[in-house]
Amino acid sequence: MERRSGGPGAGSARAAPAPGAPRGPHWLLRLGGLALVDGIAIWLVYQMLRDGFWPLGTVLAGVTLLVNRIFLQEELYPLRWISPGLALLAVMVLYPILFTVYTAFTNYGDGHLLSKPLAIRVLEQRRYLPEGQALYDYVAYVSPQGDYLLWLVAPDGSQLLVRPEAPPEPVEGEPPEVLEGYRRLSRGELIREGHTARLVQVTFGVGEHQFRVSDKRLGKAGRYIQRYTYLPQEDAILDNATGKRYRAVEGSWVAEDGEVLQPGFQVFIGAENFRRLLTNPALRQPFIRVFLWTVAFAGLTVVTTFGVGLFLALLFNPPEMPFRRAIRSMLLIPYAIPAFISVPIWVGLLNPQYGVVNLFLRDTLGLEIPWFSHPYWAKVGVVLVNLWLGFPYMFLISTGALQALPGDIYEAAEIDGAGPWQRFRFITFPLLLISLGPLLVASFAFNFNNFVVIDLYNQGGPPMSGTPSPVGHTDILVTYTYRIAFASGRGADLGYAAAITVAIFLILVAITYIQFRYTRMLEERAEQL
Amino acid sequence: MGHRLWMMVTVLLAASLVLAACPGGQPPAQETQPAAQEAEPSPTPEEAAAVEEAAAEAEEAVPAEEAGAEAEEQAALCPEGVPTLTIWADTNRAPVLREVGDTFQAEYGVCVRVTEKSFDDIRDDFKVAAPTGEGPDIIIGAHDWLGELVVNGLLAEMDLGEKAGEFLDAATQAFVYDGILYGLPYATENVAFVYNPELVAEPPTTWSQVAEVAAELEAQGMVDQGYVLQQGDPYHFFPIQTAFGGYVFGLTEEGYDPSDVGIDSPGSIAAAQWLDMMVKEGHLKADIDWDTAHAMFENGDAAMIVTGPWALSRLRESGVPYAVAELPGEVQEAQPFLGVQGFMVSAFSPDPLLAQTFLVDFVATEAIMQAIFDADPRPSAYLPVREQIQDPDLVGFSAAGANGLPMPAIPEMSAVWSAWGDAITLIFQQAEDPETAFRNAAEQIRAAISGEQ
Repeated sequence: MERRSGGPGAGSARAAPAPGAPRGPHWLLRLGGLALVDGIAIWLVYQMLRDGFWPLGTVLAGVTLLVNRIFLQEELYPLRWISPGLALLAVMVLYPILFTVYTAFTNYGDGHLLSKPLAIRVLEQRRYLPEGQALYDYVAYVSPQGDYLLWLVAPDGSQLLVRPEAPPEPVEGEPPEVLEGYRRLSRGELIREGHTARLVQVTFGVGEHQFRVSDKRLGKAGRYIQRYTYLPQEDAILDNATGKRYRAVEGSWVAEDGEVLQPGFQVFIGAENFRRLLTNPALRQPFIRVFLWTVAFAGLTVVTTFGVGLFLALLFNPPEMPFRRAIRSMLLIPYAIPAFISVPIWVGLLNPQYGVVNLFLRDTLGLEIPWFSHPYWAKVGVVLVNLWLGFPYMFLISTGALQALPGDIYEAAEIDGAGPWQRFRFITFPLLLISLGPLLVASFAFNFNNFVVIDLYNQGGPPMSGTPSPVGHTDILVTYTYRIAFASGRGADLGYAAAITVAIFLILVAITYIQFRYTRMLEERAEQL
Repeated sequence: MGHRLWMMVTVLLAASLVLAACPGGQPPAQETQPAAQEAEPSPTPEEAAAVEEAAAEAEEAVPAEEAGAEAEEQAALCPEGVPTLTIWADTNRAPVLREVGDTFQAEYGVCVRVTEKSFDDIRDDFKVAAPTGEGPDIIIGAHDWLGELVVNGLLAEMDLGEKAGEFLDAATQAFVYDGILYGLPYATENVAFVYNPELVAEPPTTWSQVAEVAAELEAQGMVDQGYVLQQGDPYHFFPIQTAFGGYVFGLTEEGYDPSDVGIDSPGSIAAAQWLDMMVKEGHLKADIDWDTAHAMFENGDAAMIVTGPWALSRLRESGVPYAVAELPGEVQEAQPFLGVQGFMVSAFSPDPLLAQTFLVDFVATEAIMQAIFDADPRPSAYLPVREQIQDPDLVGFSAAGANGLPMPAIPEMSAVWSAWGDAITLIFQQAEDPETAFRNAAEQIRAAISGEQ
């Protein structure tokens, strides 16, 4: 990592790595640093693979190998400087995206949360007491080696002594303090010495006379039987109580009669989520309306925020403007308040019956605007609130861009007799668009998925009537699909949600690509200017 | 061109991150279940919970922080090799459990770590943490999380043993899922009919009477609105629906039946028609949210409201005269949703027997249950404490919930909230007639459950 290789030796070694050339101490230092990084990485990868996070583990292993290669191969010397950045990019940015795409092809979600081995473990640890079997009281004994004995007292008063792998023996009288060198455990000792965790794992007796202690009630034991057994040959779960077999089908345990045993497990299901998405009747009918409104919302937001921001930037650009600094700072306040606070405040202000805005409008103009219940006014309201949230950003970048415009063009324009409007129309605006174009595209892409504002304003309401699935007039694609994914009647369906995310991502790629083509066109035109 | 391409890639990466964050990052339960516990402002009860929770957190910010530090200290002190229990509890319950934990530790040497979380985070965090083995042994939660947690195989079966009889039957029943008990309940909650005795002498006993009383009060100019109900809120509308004979899911011996959706049953539609009448005659107004509705009652602008024990503190602070009564019926007695809170044991606990022993022997005692009640007064699920409740308001709430129906815990419930709430909103806004609105909602719910979506 530390490449203090200013010396000529290192330079020549890089130019021509002669075999057996002497390596300096910096080489050892680098190896040492790399060994440290590798050590940490191997430990992390080991932990992740052990805990079943193999995708993340694999990516991390890959990144580590790449880093090793970069640092050991002299030809890749320039990459060394950006390798930490590349590594972070891979782990923090590329991995989440790849994981989302991967999840889109799985059934991950409620009912399929666990991996298959875990699901089997959960099922196999369940036990039951067959009908008619008695629940015994017990006194536990422990040997110095940590072996256990149980003194069982049946409800009818008969007593049994059971030990692992030996038939039970009938006993009489009171349980003694010490039995065959085994120490009697009081209730308190059972807990204090941590016997509870171990005792539930032990099977006492043999054959039909097998006893286990209850894992639910301290001091109770009985002929508990493991409820489910996994049959690897058949890839099925056997219910020991009923003899029913549940086969593994696409991440669920399904019996012949269609009964499903929970929990299922996570499994790769191919393009099933996408098929479901495309054949969803809810997608056909309101989808176009939602999509158009999404584009309109993002577009209107960009246009209005940029318009207001640019106007204010122009207004406060001349240095002779009084209180310029103070006003500029104040204009940035909406940008500094989190939307989670300001949107609910706006919702209160716009309340049709009691909000300040409507009280004012009623008193002055006699208007009563249904900001939340009318399809059009709700849209106007959410765009206005988003304008309030978004214009400071546009104001900020416009102010910056304005200051970077070359002054000589304006002088030339003035000599040519251009008025202020013409100067703005033909010089300022086109030049600004070139530098701000990509930011406007980014703003569009951001608002295309502005879940927070839509959800906080009115949860997508007011509802549309007569639709095949619940949808509101201000729902944008991401809030609409959120409703579909999490109100599906199956709990959270994360695989499906990921598929929707990927679909929206593809739509956004298309739109953004077109927009970038357009801004490039602007740029080319400017170059010809 | 090169850098353009890069910029585009960067923008898209950023955008897709936002995307990735949106559906996953939000609590997936937004519409899933109204956290039985807290209050319900406006459409989804969930937000109310968030609001209440936030308020509760604000109030207790300082002690909470101290407690957090204390918890960390405790965690740091847990010696190697000593039996350990980890509990996830909310702000109200954590200090009490910490005390029980200390007693348990003193008596049995078991190290009890109490981690404080906001009530609504417990479920989602638990779903993430439990399968990795990093999760707690015990969580606090609402009974309507059961469906979600059980289908994921995260909960261990519970056995209350001889103590079963010391709990309110309806409360333990609420923690039964598919015939198996998964929780030890500590509190119940439900809405009741709250009225202003200075304006309404006798609480009305039917919803038709509510309409009459409201009309009278409004005609006299005593109030803005006689009875106030927030728009689009199924949770608070449910008692009206049941009074008219409606239901959500049919209730069978084995629990709620998702194939029997009752949103368009004749009783439900009758309730919708009553609501429509109230709106048409101007007794109920659109665009009222939970906060506004309560503010109106507290200002004396409204005389009757349906609300739960979570609103008691603000009612008392406002100084408005109020009384808690049973919910009005109509063709039958009204049944509110019953929410039950309790303790659950993780299926991934390394020592389930210890966890259960701690709960049944140490937590299910009168002193601890009383302390839990004192920390956050809601009708206790533990009979020895419940029977001693002196507070007339809480007695009123627990009487109103005597025949309550446990909020359905089945996963299919997630399909219900938003469709049902939208239908109520459409009636409030007079955008659809009541029958169409409720029939369409039922169709949406059936479609979602059948998996067409």
